[in-house]
Amino acid sequence: MLRMPPFTVLNPSTVDEAMEQMLAAAGEARWLAGGTDINPNLKHRLLEPQALIALEGVGELRGVSVNEKGWLRLGAMTTLTEVAEHAQIQAQWPALAQAASLVSGPQLRNMGTIGGNVMLDTRCQWYNQTHFWRKSLGYCMKKDGTECHVIKGGSKCVAAASNDTAPALMTLDAEIEIASGDGRARMPLAELWQADGIWNRKLSPQELLVAIHLPPTAAKHHGAYGKLRDRGSIDFPLFGIAVRLDLDDAGKIAHAALCAVALQARPWPLKKVADALCGTTPGEQDFLDAVEQVAALAAKQCRPMPNIPGDHEYRHAMVPVYTKRTLFAAAAKAGPVHHL
Amino acid sequence: MAARDQHGPGAPWGKDFHVVGHAQRKVDAMAKATGEAVYTDDIQLPGMLHAKMLRSPHAHARIVSIDTSKAEALPGVHAVLVGSELPIKYGVIPWTPDETALAVDKVRFIGDEVAAVAAVDEDTAQAAVELIEVEYEILDAILDPEQALVTPEPAIHEDRKRRDNISKHVDLSFGDVDAQVAEAAVVIEEDYEFSSNTHTAIEPHCAVAQLGADGRLTLWSATQITHYVHRAIARVLELHPARVRVVQPCLGGAFGGKSDPFSLEFVVSKLAMKTGRPVKMLWTREEVFYAHRGRHAMKMHYRTTATANGMITGVDAKLLIDGGSYSSFGLVTTYYSGQLLTGPYDFPNYRFDSTRVFTNKPPCGPKRGHGSVQPRFAFEVQLDEVAHRLGIDPIEIRRRNFLGDHTTTVNGQRITSNGFLECLDAVEKASGWKERHGKMPFGRGLGVAGSMYISGTNYPIYPNKMPQAGIQIKVDRSGLVTVFTGGNDIGQGSNSMVAYLVAEELGIRPRDVRVVAADTDLCPVDLGAYSSRVTFMVGNAAIDAARKLRKQITESVASHWATAPSEVRMINGVVIDLQDPDRTMSQREAFHLAEEAHDTLGSTGSYNTPTLGGDYRGGSIGASPAYSFTAHIAEVEVDPETGRITVDKVWVAHDCGRALNPTIVAGQIEGSTYMGAGEVVLEEHTMNRFGLHQGPSLLDYRIPTSLDTPDIEAHMVESIDPEGPYGAKEAGEGPLHSTIPAIANAVHDAVGIRLRTLPFHPSKVLRALAEQKPAQEVQA
Amino acid sequence: MRVFRLQVNGDPLDVAAPEHWSLLEVLRYRLGLTGSKQGCDKGDCGACTVLIDGTPTLACLALPATLEGKDITTIEGLRPLHQKAGGQGVDPVQDAFDRCGALQCGFCQPGMILSTKALLSDNPDPSRREIQDALAGNLCRCTGYTQIFQAVELVADEVAGREPRKPAWAQAREQEIAAASPKEEPFQPEHGGQA
Repeated sequence: MLRMPPFTVLNPSTVDEAMEQMLAAAGEARWLAGGTDINPNLKHRLLEPQALIALEGVGELRGVSVNEKGWLRLGAMTTLTEVAEHAQIQAQWPALAQAASLVSGPQLRNMGTIGGNVMLDTRCQWYNQTHFWRKSLGYCMKKDGTECHVIKGGSKCVAAASNDTAPALMTLDAEIEIASGDGRARMPLAELWQADGIWNRKLSPQELLVAIHLPPTAAKHHGAYGKLRDRGSIDFPLFGIAVRLDLDDAGKIAHAALCAVALQARPWPLKKVADALCGTTPGEQDFLDAVEQVAALAAKQCRPMPNIPGDHEYRHAMVPVYTKRTLFAAAAKAGPVHHL
Repeated sequence: MAARDQHGPGAPWGKDFHVVGHAQRKVDAMAKATGEAVYTDDIQLPGMLHAKMLRSPHAHARIVSIDTSKAEALPGVHAVLVGSELPIKYGVIPWTPDETALAVDKVRFIGDEVAAVAAVDEDTAQAAVELIEVEYEILDAILDPEQALVTPEPAIHEDRKRRDNISKHVDLSFGDVDAQVAEAAVVIEEDYEFSSNTHTAIEPHCAVAQLGADGRLTLWSATQITHYVHRAIARVLELHPARVRVVQPCLGGAFGGKSDPFSLEFVVSKLAMKTGRPVKMLWTREEVFYAHRGRHAMKMHYRTTATANGMITGVDAKLLIDGGSYSSFGLVTTYYSGQLLTGPYDFPNYRFDSTRVFTNKPPCGPKRGHGSVQPRFAFEVQLDEVAHRLGIDPIEIRRRNFLGDHTTTVNGQRITSNGFLECLDAVEKASGWKERHGKMPFGRGLGVAGSMYISGTNYPIYPNKMPQAGIQIKVDRSGLVTVFTGGNDIGQGSNSMVAYLVAEELGIRPRDVRVVAADTDLCPVDLGAYSSRVTFMVGNAAIDAARKLRKQITESVASHWATAPSEVRMINGVVIDLQDPDRTMSQREAFHLAEEAHDTLGSTGSYNTPTLGGDYRGGSIGASPAYSFTAHIAEVEVDPETGRITVDKVWVAHDCGRALNPTIVAGQIEGSTYMGAGEVVLEEHTMNRFGLHQGPSLLDYRIPTSLDTPDIEAHMVESIDPEGPYGAKEAGEGPLHSTIPAIANAVHDAVGIRLRTLPFHPSKVLRALAEQKPAQEVQA
Repeated sequence: MRVFRLQVNGDPLDVAAPEHWSLLEVLRYRLGLTGSKQGCDKGDCGACTVLIDGTPTLACLALPATLEGKDITTIEGLRPLHQKAGGQGVDPVQDAFDRCGALQCGFCQPGMILSTKALLSDNPDPSRREIQDALAGNLCRCTGYTQIFQAVELVADEVAGREPRKPAWAQAREQEIAAASPKEEPFQPEHGGQA
């Protein structure tokens, strides 16, 4: 069996205790949530920490609740299955439930957590390989090497954000609650990212995602998630897109947002889509026209690279198709959009 | 021996079968369902060491030096092994031994085995592997088969008689294909391409070896060819074969991927000898991808000529076969790529020119439908093109060209039973072909294809006149019958098949038969689970052995009852006097009477093929005592916006001779069809520009999940073969073949494009649709 | 090395193992529970599926340090659980897999059977699509999944007291599905006289 590097496992029961252990490890520890991403990465020797700090027993990281102001709080250790099957999330934050339902396969969703999916390491076909494979290649700049095999002569790592739930959360204006040595902080998820495939978050690996907070959605909120992949299960996204449409009382779109993933290091919010969609009425011709415009805009703004497996030109050709289909699904209160 | 002593396909006791053809449990299913079954990696022996392999990071290089001193010094390491300690070459085909257990002087692909370590645990062994220092002199790598064809230097194998990169060339011609071109009403000539794909059995390769204090070496291995491994181990380790025992534990799938002797089998054996400790090696999934032996990539050029009413007059083929770095079964592959195409249709004239080349990639070998799946794809698509050009229904053209039964093919293969027309009828009816083909809305289509495959071959790999399959039966006073077979149950259910046939023949229940299999110390030789030979050959041997016992038992009972042996019937373990049906006894009492009369009861049986094949060099390769036939109809939906092909439904009818256990036959038909469908839409075993496998994992090499498999409807056609065991033929490989062209032809029906390069990735569909559009506009 | 206190198939067990070993390694190589299989090394195939508090989980990605206090069920636990609950022979899911031909090489089946158990305990009468969804993390290379789906449906039909659905080939042959019905005592010890 493929070997893990040796490590010890710590089992804190509170966030404070976890943070103390992390600080004491002086950079040699990593968080362990569901283990579905870090364990394969450990087996690939993409990291070799001395300790894993297991979050399994930290009660504060659990639970789904809605406060009196209608904000949803998702403990970071909430499993993807719980998110996908939660009736209130399905009703009020549908894009999130849909995105969670399309992550990998059933067992991975039972184990994998929403926090882990948000903080998922970026992925690349030249990186997510065993040590033997990467050594045969001569490594790449994301780990142990200097070269980029995606863009010859490239100076920045372009490994792809591959977290299905991140774009959904971004269209829903999610905020994240972070614990660090300095205490607690809260920030918009949209501000988390940086354009660096080696480490695409503006947080250090020692900081801890405690919870995700989502503001209430509008009375006439529509959302959907679309995912391109080869198989009906297990696969990471080859392209993913989340859609948000908020309708006014007259049934016209008042607010719209789209965010894509599996392109480059960051989840990729589409700009100017609201301009085209706002004021149109789903089901009417003006909406259909706007969808065409948005699809064209998406194709311009989303440029898949040969970073993850799969023909990147084909992935690009699918950007407008999946954008349209996901917009129509959202309008129809349907979805998720995938090939099944 | 069965070939000389034909017992015919009828039931042994009267006209009805009591076991065969009825639903039966499998002999090992409950052990598998409860976790009780022992697979190779489930074996744990006291003091067992664990071994890991060092592999080449270069596609082609000379080994200058290996320094193992640091690895040997690591605490917990018991032995390090390098190629010079096992220099004797081997290969599953005795004519082409070009592999060594570990590289001796050269490495030939990324992943080629270089050295191995045995240590107290896998972690230590892995750490030690990383301490081995190898100095390489890097050579130019040849990754493209076209390049291999025209590049003799550097020769990937330098010590062969011919100094080039051609592994095997076969050029055979029957009749005159060129003469047909001038007179043909239609000539279709096209290029087709089949990409490589691999078996992906869920169980990775694993082997455990132990050298007993008595000097006997036992090797447990996840193999489908115990006998050939036995021979290879004895030769390479220079041991007397009588001191080597090879055992195949429960096997977690194979599909041809475990039918070569593999490096790890020699390595654990040698390490066990060096250390005096049992040694296990379990390959990682990545290592299984490097072991490969999967489907050869082929570039194929076909030209078919036909008359105006669709009769084929000639088929001309030129094939380039990418063999990867070693020969494996390549000699056979090269023959099979031409020899197995000459049915179920009558080819009056046929020629094929096949060349297998070496490249610096993982070696290809026999994947389910060895050598003939690729040509079948090309030809069945081409036949569809002929039908369309002539305006003939694609099923009708296949009927018109039907080869017939009890006949001989153009290349000299003897055909016995042939239920292909019934197969076509079954899928035509079940699919609603007449009402729906060519009549469905754009994006939805039906396609048909047919095929044939061997039930074993009379080519025994190493020349000998001994039986190809043997059986021994022991009868216990308790009423239990134990059958010993060298046959390899790889999940296809051959052990169950043996139990059913012996039970049928002896008139007892299958649960009173215990099968001991695939253990070279205990079981008579069978050549292994390949070429779809087990049911036919081991089955005939089992009947042969059981029939001899049956005679002894019925005679003993008859004598006791003072009646004629023909009046004694055994059914489900009860012995009845037909003259006096109230007079009965149990099987146990009957066994006791027989033992009193004949001394200790036991029996042997065997099978050898009759002399078969064309009278020319290679004429026996692909010559089978019986051929199976299949017809597929696939229904696809093509999304013109995404290019995605969804195989909604596949109807498949397979002529399996007699369905010994219909449930198992259905499972073989469905599993084959599913695997073929995966080869069309998902699977591709590709190396990147560095010669590195593009995705050696079950994440990146995408086999269909439960959501990707088509709805498969299996039908059985029972042609009852005169020489098969109770009339049975193969069912495990044939039903893969025509899945692929049926889907390709359905795509044409759905959206009018001809895809000739597998796999059919959606991007290819979109490109073909885009190219078709302007052409249509011009026509309009 | 650490001593883990695990609850496996109802047994409280103290087991010492390296901390970086997965649950799968501990089950297979420390506890001898080799029914959970290893197919892909890293969470891509589902052969190692076990139930943790009833939920299908991949033992190859689970670390024992996070599982103390949880209830782990492996394939070896099903038959004893079934008998403890008053049942005879093996669990009906295990039985149906045999009757429908769903066990070829058998390597994916422990995981497949446990995923099926979890599905049926939530949803005793799933649609074909629900079955496909629930088993979408368990790769099978032998069957093409068809007979596996039929096995799950057979259990559902028998629990619901319906006439079992039959595949087309069985309808055409008027074939019984495993004539050896589960009541035909194949897996109970038999009593008899002297050999």
